[in-house]
Amino acid sequence: MDMNLQEKLKILADSAKYDASCSSSGSKRSNKDGIGNAAESGICHSFASDGRCISLLKILLTNACIYDCKYCLNRKSNNIKRAMFTPEEVCQITINFYRRNYIEGLFLSSGIIKSPDYTMEQLIKTIELLRNKYHFNGYIHAKAIPGASDSLLKRLGSLVDRLSANVELPTENGLKLLAPNKESKKVNEIMNYVKNNQSRKYAPAGQSTQMIIGATKERDLDIMSKSSSLYDKYKLKRVFYSAYVPVNKDSMLPSLVRPPLTRENRLYQADWLLRFYNFKVSDLLNDDNPNFNILVDPKTDWALRHLKEFPKEINKCSYYDLLKIPGIGVKSAKRIITSRRNFTIHMEDLKRLGVVMKRAKYFILCDGKYFANSSVFKKNFIEANLVLEEKDMSIVNREQLRLF
Amino acid sequence: MYRIYVYDGNYIALLSLILELIKRNIKPDNIKMDDYEASLFDEVINLQVDLDMDILKKMKKSFGSYAINAMYYVYLSEEDNKELLLYYFFLNALKYHKDITFRRDLKCVSEVLRISQYVMHEGHRMKGFLRFKELENKVLYAEMEPTNDVIMLVSHHFQKRLKNEYFIIKDVKRRILSIYDKKKFVIVPENSFILDTDVLSDEEREMEELWKIFYRTIGIVERKNDRCRMNFMPKKYWKHMLEVEDEL
Repeated sequence: MDMNLQEKLKILADSAKYDASCSSSGSKRSNKDGIGNAAESGICHSFASDGRCISLLKILLTNACIYDCKYCLNRKSNNIKRAMFTPEEVCQITINFYRRNYIEGLFLSSGIIKSPDYTMEQLIKTIELLRNKYHFNGYIHAKAIPGASDSLLKRLGSLVDRLSANVELPTENGLKLLAPNKESKKVNEIMNYVKNNQSRKYAPAGQSTQMIIGATKERDLDIMSKSSSLYDKYKLKRVFYSAYVPVNKDSMLPSLVRPPLTRENRLYQADWLLRFYNFKVSDLLNDDNPNFNILVDPKTDWALRHLKEFPKEINKCSYYDLLKIPGIGVKSAKRIITSRRNFTIHMEDLKRLGVVMKRAKYFILCDGKYFANSSVFKKNFIEANLVLEEKDMSIVNREQLRLF
Repeated sequence: MYRIYVYDGNYIALLSLILELIKRNIKPDNIKMDDYEASLFDEVINLQVDLDMDILKKMKKSFGSYAINAMYYVYLSEEDNKELLLYYFFLNALKYHKDITFRRDLKCVSEVLRISQYVMHEGHRMKGFLRFKELENKVLYAEMEPTNDVIMLVSHHFQKRLKNEYFIIKDVKRRILSIYDKKKFVIVPENSFILDTDVLSDEEREMEELWKIFYRTIGIVERKNDRCRMNFMPKKYWKHMLEVEDEL
């Protein structure tokens, strides 16, 4: 099986592409007389045809795998071409891409070969070579292999900027059904280990995880509850949601025409609300209302269901109340706070402060004034206008809406 | 007649001029670089001003570093009346001091902050979108055409990142080069340095090909979204990005 480098790269990038994480932020690693450093803000180097950021050289060390997870392209029972990089090859490509500024660093994952420990050792060998022989100080995100021993987790984490393990599916049942070789207990053990050891020298950019959306029957409520508990328990930096793309045919898998992208988008929006806007899952979803509204974003949906709390006066309401207004984000809320210490904010100032007026105007008073005659302050009127607004925003959404 | 005050393009010269105008209580109709094309109604005034080398230090103390960084980014922008805008910002900063950046109710403040964000954002983008080629002598060479004058911002970034490499970055539109010799970088006019960029290293084509393969492979076909891609990576940058130049 003498395969050239081009062919290997094609196979091993193709099999890595379903991992959503590509962020390169959160690390301050500096250049110690070698090549590269990490930019704390993260840097996107290109954008793929699907509009996703390309920051890291995202590859598998090998796509050979002893597991047979139903949703995965690389499962044992699939008859596909298999390839494996040598550590030296990974280093050559990484360094050459990095020098030319194609990438911010390396994202290295792998299929499981022989055993979790053996696979981890191969990852460690590769990254050690890159750090020690090639003196590479750029960003590295490695996948920890569930079931590998603590001593290997310790070594890998001290080499990389981010270490992560994917929970894959939002519930234990989903995992049993589609990934019979994986145990959520082992993923939790990794996350726990990383949480307890994280420092400036150990996975300085923290950990993240990923869930596949739409391959199993979980409700948005189940997914968000899982995320929320992961953030609380393991101090994760991010949970990524990956709309299920049907790469395999299996009686246990849904046959989708298009991946559920609008749903994925709603989950990301809600995820943001949990992390930066002081919302709780129970504010957004409950058993009577277990899925997000496809027509409007979760915050607008919340606001429409709590119209009694509005309109809020921009010049008076608290920071947390500002964050609850659709069309106001963390940045604009902070600007409003610092601005109103210096002057009274008028309607015409809001756009300059970064407020998205086409959404916010229905929910605010500014210096006592409402944007229109107060008779329009009715749920049906506001909802209808905002749904139209949202429909204009994205072609993808529009295509999805047609399905309903 | 419009009274147009001119300066030589240097940032310190501009700030010194603005301060002098304020001291003399002169309200200029505009401030321009001395090579601008004057119209029939312009009275061009070349005020002789001593360069105040401590001006940045003094401004930082009085206005705060956020404000003076924003001013510098505006200076790097292509905004038509950026000098006049900076004059009004300076005038107001003398009144509001460190609170100046909170006064978004003033048009000159909201404009300075908006433009500085835009320049900073483009600087950040170029740090990602810039593409080096390896020349025969191992020198890394990149061409770019940013809207704003971000070569300084970009050079500082690569000086840290690629400190053991030689690199040259060319701003095609402004005809300037940033040349880094493993110690420091200098920015010089294009014609002051003879450069043969046609002879590439042996590996160069192979690496370019690998990158293009990676780029084509990593996108998920079922999620194709051109509009999203273009929002994040506007077409004006594609000309110098090998992975997408074929799609132009």
